[in-house]
Amino acid sequence: MLKFILRRLLYMIPIFFGITLVTFVLFNVAGGDPAAQAAGRYATPDQITVMRAEMGLNKPLLNQYFDLVTQLFTFDFGRSWSSKQQISHLITAGIGPSLTVTFPGFVISLLITIPLSLLVAHKRGTFFDKATLVICLALTAISSVVYVLAGQYFFAFRWGMFPISGWDPSWDGRWQYAALPIIIMVSLSLGSYILFFRTVFLDEMYQDYVRTARSKGLGNAKILLKHVLRNALVPIITLVVLQVPFLITGSLLTESFFGIPGLGGLIYQAIQEADFPVIKAMTIISAVLYMVFQLISDILYALVDPKIRLG
Amino acid sequence: MLTRFLVIFSASLFLSYCTRGSKVSENSIQFPMKMNLSSLDPAQASNEATNEVGPNINETLLQYNYLKRPLTVEPLLAATMPTVSKDGLVHTFKIKPGVRFHDDAAFKDGKGRELVAADFIYAWKRLADPKSKSEGWWIFDGKIKGFNEWRDKLTKGEATYETAIEGLQTPDDHTIVITLSKPYYQLYYVLTMIYSSPVPKEAVDKYGAEFLNHPVGTGPFVFVNWIRGNKVVLKRNPTYHGSLYPSAGEPGDQEAGLLADAGKPLPFVDELIFHEVPEDQPRWLNMMRGNFDISEIPKDSFDGAVGPDKELKADMKAKGFELKKYKVQEVVYMGINMDDPVLGKNRNLRTALCYAYDQKTPIERFYNGRAIVAHSMIGPDMDGYDESFKLPCKEYSLEKAKEYLKKAGFPDGKGLEPIEYSFPTSATGRQFGEYVQEQFGKIGVKTVLTGNSWPQFQDRLRNKKAQMFGIAWGADYPDAENMMQLLYGPNVSPGPNSANFKNKEFDKLYEEASKMPPGEARTVAYKKMRDIFAAELPWIPTVHRLGFQLSHGWVENLKPNKTLPNPFKYMKVNLEKKKALKAKL
Repeated sequence: MLKFILRRLLYMIPIFFGITLVTFVLFNVAGGDPAAQAAGRYATPDQITVMRAEMGLNKPLLNQYFDLVTQLFTFDFGRSWSSKQQISHLITAGIGPSLTVTFPGFVISLLITIPLSLLVAHKRGTFFDKATLVICLALTAISSVVYVLAGQYFFAFRWGMFPISGWDPSWDGRWQYAALPIIIMVSLSLGSYILFFRTVFLDEMYQDYVRTARSKGLGNAKILLKHVLRNALVPIITLVVLQVPFLITGSLLTESFFGIPGLGGLIYQAIQEADFPVIKAMTIISAVLYMVFQLISDILYALVDPKIRLG
Repeated sequence: MLTRFLVIFSASLFLSYCTRGSKVSENSIQFPMKMNLSSLDPAQASNEATNEVGPNINETLLQYNYLKRPLTVEPLLAATMPTVSKDGLVHTFKIKPGVRFHDDAAFKDGKGRELVAADFIYAWKRLADPKSKSEGWWIFDGKIKGFNEWRDKLTKGEATYETAIEGLQTPDDHTIVITLSKPYYQLYYVLTMIYSSPVPKEAVDKYGAEFLNHPVGTGPFVFVNWIRGNKVVLKRNPTYHGSLYPSAGEPGDQEAGLLADAGKPLPFVDELIFHEVPEDQPRWLNMMRGNFDISEIPKDSFDGAVGPDKELKADMKAKGFELKKYKVQEVVYMGINMDDPVLGKNRNLRTALCYAYDQKTPIERFYNGRAIVAHSMIGPDMDGYDESFKLPCKEYSLEKAKEYLKKAGFPDGKGLEPIEYSFPTSATGRQFGEYVQEQFGKIGVKTVLTGNSWPQFQDRLRNKKAQMFGIAWGADYPDAENMMQLLYGPNVSPGPNSANFKNKEFDKLYEEASKMPPGEARTVAYKKMRDIFAAELPWIPTVHRLGFQLSHGWVENLKPNKTLPNPFKYMKVNLEKKKALKAKL
C-alpha cells in the first residue's frame, strides 16, 4: 500500500506541473496584460511599467512560472486586484461558511438518496420505480437558478420559515442562515444522485452472486444491505470522495443569493470583477484538491474491495 | 504551505467563533449595497460600495449641504469656509479644534487623538505615493504647487513623506494653506470626496497593508466589523465632534418635513449596517419584508411596485412604502473612436447613426421609464445643463438617417464595412448591443457586437481598439467640467477621453473655463463646448438615468442625491411608526 501511495504521489508531480503550467499560460500569457489591468483604467504607460516591475512581470517567463509554484507552496497568493485583500486570508475565511452549507447538505443527500435508490432498484419496473424515475428526471431538468429563486421566495419570503439571506459567523447563529441553502442543495442533488445510485445498484443486482444468494434462500434485506450495497461501494466512494473538493469550494449561486461569505461567493465575485489573482489561486487550489482526493479515493478502493490490487 | 494554511485557517475559525451575532438595534439603518465592498481605506475609494460606507467613518474638510440643490459646499472638518487670496490661488483652511479620531489600538492607551492639519497632508501624500496604488491621485494631479515634483522625487527615492511641499503648508496644527499652481475651481468639490479624508499615520503604520480592514476616522460612526461578502457594521461614534442637521434648505423642504430636525446634533441612528447583496431578488425580498430600510427598485420588480404613472401602486403605499425620484448627474452614451478612419472622419455617418437610434423604446424596455433622453454630455442639474437644448439628431428619423448615410457616401449602407460595437459583457449589455444592431440595421448599417470582460473592455478603450462603445459616466462632483474632461484633447486614451476627440476650439474653451470661477461667463463657455460637441458628435448621448429610491415610511429626513457622499448621518428612524408599519408587512 505504501509503495502504491508513493508511486501515486510521484505521478502527481508531473500532473501538478501540467496544471500549474496551463494555468500560468492562460492567465499570464494569453489573458492580456495583468499589469495594465492592475494599474487601472487611466494608467499611463509609465505607471504600467512600474506596476509590471512590482508584479514581477518583467522577469523571464520561467521565473514568473517559478513564482507561481512558490505561491502555492507558501500559500501566499498575494493580494486581490479588486479588493486589495490578502488572497490566502480570503480563502481561509471562506472555507468554513462554504462547508457549513455543503457538508451537511452532502451528507443529508447521501443519507436520503442511497437507501431510496436501493429501494427503487429493488422495485424495478413497478409504478414506484417509474414514478421516481420521472420525478428524478424532472428534478434534474430544472435549472439550479430556479431552485434558488423559488426556494428563497417561497420558504423564506412567503412562508417566513427562514431568513431571506444573511450570515452570522458564530457557530450557533449560522445554522438559521445555512438551513435553507442546505435544503436547496439537498433538493438539487436528489434527482441526479438517485438516478446514479439506482443504476449502480441495478448493475449489482443482476450479478451472479446475487442470484446465488437468492437461490441459497437469503432474504431481500440481507442481499441488498450486505451484498449489493457493499459491492456497489466502489462507484459510491468515487462520487463521495471526488465531491469533497467541490464541497470545499462551495456553491457559486447559492452563496451569492444567500449572502454566505464562502468560497463560492468569492469565486463568483472574482469572475464578475475579472480578479485574475483570485481566480488563478482558486483554479490551482481546486485542481490540487481534486488530485489529492483522487488519490484518497484510489486508496479507499483497496480498502473496500480486496479484489483491487493497488501494487 | 500546510503550516501557513493551518495557522491562517485556525485564526479564521477562532475569529468566527469570537464574532458572535449581536442583536441589531431598532434605531438603525440597514442598507443593501449592489456591489461588494472591497476596501475601507479612503485612498482606495474607487469602488462604489467604499463610497457608500467610507464617508460615515472618514470625514472631509468640506461637505455638500444635505438639503440645498444644486449642491452647495459647506464646512465639515473645516471650521469655516476657507479664505482665498485675490488671485484665487491660495486657500487657507482652519480646522475645527477638538475633533478626535476614533478610539483605536493604534493610539496611545487606545484613545483617539486630536485631528491636526498634518493628518490631511499625510493622507494627500498617500494618494500621490505610487506605492499606495490609489486611483484618487487625479484630484490633486497637476493642481498644487510642488506636489507633482514631490511625487516624482518620491518615486525616485529622492524625497520622503517628511519632505515639505511648497503648495501644502501647515503653519500650525489647525491651519492648512493650499497654494494652487493654477486656478482650480473644483478644489472644494474634490475636498468633499472621501479620497481627501485625513487618516492617522499611527494607524497606517500599525496596520500596514491591512489598514484597508481597520479604518480609523473622525466620522459619526465607528467601524465595528466586516464579514466580507456579507455585511459591514458601524456604530454611533460616542466622541463625535457634532455636526448639525442643516437649518435651511430649498423651497418645499419645510413642507416635506425635511426641516423638522433643523439644528439638531447628528447622527440620529445608533447603528448602520451595510449589506453586500449583489443579487436583485434577495435585495428586493428583504426590502419587502422590512429587513432593509432603503433600496432601489430592481428592474424586474419595478412593474409590481410602480404603476404606469411612475408612482407607487396603492398596495405599496398601504404598506407604508415611500418613493422619492431624483435626477442623477450622469450620462449614458455610445462613444465613437474619433481616430477610426471610417467613423471618426465622417461626420455625416455619425449623424446618420444618431438619427437612426430610437431612444424612446429603450427608455421603457431597459430602464422602466426611469431615464430621460440625453441631448448633450452635461448631466441634469449641472452648470451648463439646459433642458431646452435639443440635439437635432435625437429626433428619431429613419428618412434623415438615410439621407445623411447617403451624404456620407454609403447609400443604404452599401460599401460600409460592419461597425464594431464594444460593450462590457452582461445580460443587459448584450441586450443593449442587440438593440443598437437592430436600430442601425434599419438603415442598412451592419453592426458586429464585441462583448468584453470589464478589464478587456478597458483594454480596448485604452488601446483605441474599439470603434464604437457603450458606456456611462457618473459625475464625481456637480460641475460640468467633470463631463467636459472626457472630451478634452490632452486626455485621449489611455486617459479618460476614450472617444479620442480632439478639437482645438473645444480644448481652448476647456482651458479658459478651467480658469473661470462658477458664473455666467463659465456657463457660456460650457454651452459653447456643448455646441461643438453637438456639431461634431464624438458620442451619441443616449440617456440620463433617474433615481427611484424606495424607503419605508419610518425612515425620515430622506432627500436622495447620488453625488452626496454622506446621507446616512441625517437619516432618522421613527420607532413608533416602524413598529406599526412592520406589522403590515
